[in-house]
Amino acid sequence: MLSRVADALYWMGRYLERSENITRLLLVTDDFSTETQGLAEQVAQAAWKDLLAIFPAAQVAPPASAFAPMSQAYLVAFFLDPANPYSVHYSLRKARENARSVREALTVEAFLTINETFRVLEGHTRRGLADPPALREALGATHRGLFTTIGAIEHTFTRDESWLFLKLGESLERVYRTALVLRAKLPALGAAEPRADVTLYYTQWRTLLRALGSLENYRRAWGAHLEPELVVQFLLFDQHSPRSLRYGAETVKTHLERIAGEPGPAARLVGRLHADLCYHDGAVAGGEYAGFLDRVVDVMGQTHDALGAQYFAT
Amino acid sequence: MKWVPDTTAYDEAFDRTAAPRPHYRPLVTTLESFTLAEIDRRERMQKLALVDQAITFTVYGEKDGIERIFPFDFVPRIIPAKEWERIEAGLVQRVTALNLFINDVYQDQKCLKDRVIPPELVLSRREYKRELLRVTPPRQIYTHVVGTDIIRDDRGEYLVLEDNCRCPSGVSYVLENRNLLHRVFPELFTRYPVRPIREYPRLLLDTLLWAAPRASEHPVAVVLTPGIHNSAYFEHSFLAREMGALLVEGRDLIVEDSYVYMRTTGGRQRVDVIYRRVDEDFLDPLTFRRDSMLGVPGLMNVYREGNVAIANAPGAGVADDKAVYAYLPALIKYYLDQEPLLGQVSTYVGLRKDDFAYMREHLSQLVVKTTGDSGGYNMLMGPFAGKKEIEAYLAQMKKAPGNYIAQPLIELSSHPTYVEGSFEPRRIDLRPFILYGESVRVLPGGLTRVALRPGSYVVNSSQGGGSKDTWVLAPRSA
Repeated sequence: MLSRVADALYWMGRYLERSENITRLLLVTDDFSTETQGLAEQVAQAAWKDLLAIFPAAQVAPPASAFAPMSQAYLVAFFLDPANPYSVHYSLRKARENARSVREALTVEAFLTINETFRVLEGHTRRGLADPPALREALGATHRGLFTTIGAIEHTFTRDESWLFLKLGESLERVYRTALVLRAKLPALGAAEPRADVTLYYTQWRTLLRALGSLENYRRAWGAHLEPELVVQFLLFDQHSPRSLRYGAETVKTHLERIAGEPGPAARLVGRLHADLCYHDGAVAGGEYAGFLDRVVDVMGQTHDALGAQYFAT
Repeated sequence: MKWVPDTTAYDEAFDRTAAPRPHYRPLVTTLESFTLAEIDRRERMQKLALVDQAITFTVYGEKDGIERIFPFDFVPRIIPAKEWERIEAGLVQRVTALNLFINDVYQDQKCLKDRVIPPELVLSRREYKRELLRVTPPRQIYTHVVGTDIIRDDRGEYLVLEDNCRCPSGVSYVLENRNLLHRVFPELFTRYPVRPIREYPRLLLDTLLWAAPRASEHPVAVVLTPGIHNSAYFEHSFLAREMGALLVEGRDLIVEDSYVYMRTTGGRQRVDVIYRRVDEDFLDPLTFRRDSMLGVPGLMNVYREGNVAIANAPGAGVADDKAVYAYLPALIKYYLDQEPLLGQVSTYVGLRKDDFAYMREHLSQLVVKTTGDSGGYNMLMGPFAGKKEIEAYLAQMKKAPGNYIAQPLIELSSHPTYVEGSFEPRRIDLRPFILYGESVRVLPGGLTRVALRPGSYVVNSSQGGGSKDTWVLAPRSA
């Protein structure tokens, strides 16, 4: 297939995944901060600040009024602000632009759903939507729109190279963003003292699982009882949960292997990372994850560069 | 329900007594069975569908709203089988002659030597490409896809207004308009044998592959677009998808060892046919415009060596020149020894001294056009122009008389068009699409453009025009 088209599909996959990730993080963080801001304002504030570490370069306006919930400014900035490069608006617009630039390579259903989801979102920005319940509702609707788009892609695409590059972008973005979320959240969580406020402590761990779309999957594996060490192990090494780092690396690796006959530099990088995630010795989950997460972030960056050199700049 | 027949122009749907013409009767009856509220609801549905599907075109020189919807009017234009038969035969004849003419211009120039058309008129055109003299395109086809604009005068006579031999656009709207009407007003179709048009993408692909220079089992055809910012990008992408061909930009192609390749994730892959939707001046910076970023350096060399087909072939533009148009009836006679089956508008050519003298004296009655422009730009609509405007235009004309042609104002026919609760007359034209492959074929119907402003004659999408679904009726099976 054309290198330019492969490149656009790869980015479409990345931006779609990113849109979904931001939407989910906003919904979850909003729940968390609404629940905790009256009890422990610092903790609620910190949850929003983490977002700035995961998505750098965002501008958040000061709250509109003294009674405005803490979330409002963040929701507006990360959901609707067209200028924030990590807003849902920005990411979905980019996904749609990439889709539009290779519309002939997509199925009609895939393009229609992404176009419609973005058009509705654009309307919210235009109207300057700002009251919190309306923002929540719109965010929820956008989340469903994104799933409709992903479902349309899943349901209608033929599994050729186009599909593989799209999915490659999606899975690489997922591993990368998950590692960034873990890197932002785990240090503070790991150092927290459960005795200080048990309810809050577990709320935070539960929120982490929800933020990574893994709460229900964790419960299915380990039950409702949250054990921090098990949670970390689950998010990093679980074999079946689609949002664990191990599963994500395996997906990237599989797609790469199907695209290339001979493993190129990108496949080697991801293959080694995947092996480490499969054959870990438990030390990482035991608390030595900081260096490891740095490595995941680095390897994903290098993989991205290697893909560009091998497939997109021919 | 209010129907307003036209009192000056030829009304497609109503006769002079304001009674519906026979082939419009079922349509009027069907529409009258709806309440106004229901019609409004359908119209809203249809508008929403255009936005949801991003069926758009791009307007140059406007800051925001870069993507614009091409307005659609749901009242279909209906052409009876008998009328279409004549149009079709006339178009086949015309395109055959056009292709022979272009071949002649780039080979022996017999028509110039025989003075069928003044040599200076042809050879001075920017569209005449000296560098392509004696270069023969595969199968001697220049005009793979032609869009010919047809109007009807006040007596209902079909007249050719111009031929577009380079990259005529609009066919994607023809296909999408039909889809849209199927969904929004299925009731309208129940009483008419409307000829289907869905085959167009397949016919287009056949036409392109027929021109492939290589005797390969699987020749590769691609659609070349200037990119997403081009006004017809939607169409380029639409046709590529419908044909199952790749949509490429200049930067996706590369010339090596006298062949054209595209850059793919698996390395270089050879290309046999390029359906170019790029202006030919931008095709190859080494041959034509050096500042072109859209083209493929070296492409014209590959073409000269016969290793790639380009549709439409470079140089074809010499035939759709507005001054050459004036000579087409003579050219049809010259090449085919036939009388033209389709009439055309009488035309004064600035190059001819007598004609220019007439033009000067009668500007206030004429429509004057420059030979180089299209899309309704740089025109003088004499009957509607003020004195000052005419004088300024005349001053321009005197500088280069050969660049101007003039025609009497034709009362374009009009057609009922839904405007806020009533059906009002709006002027229309018709652009059928003709494919030149193994044989010459015409897509039944074409793009009916409609001037949405009351009284306006300008149907161009860039200037406030819209479009309609065009129905060609199948002949009644005896």
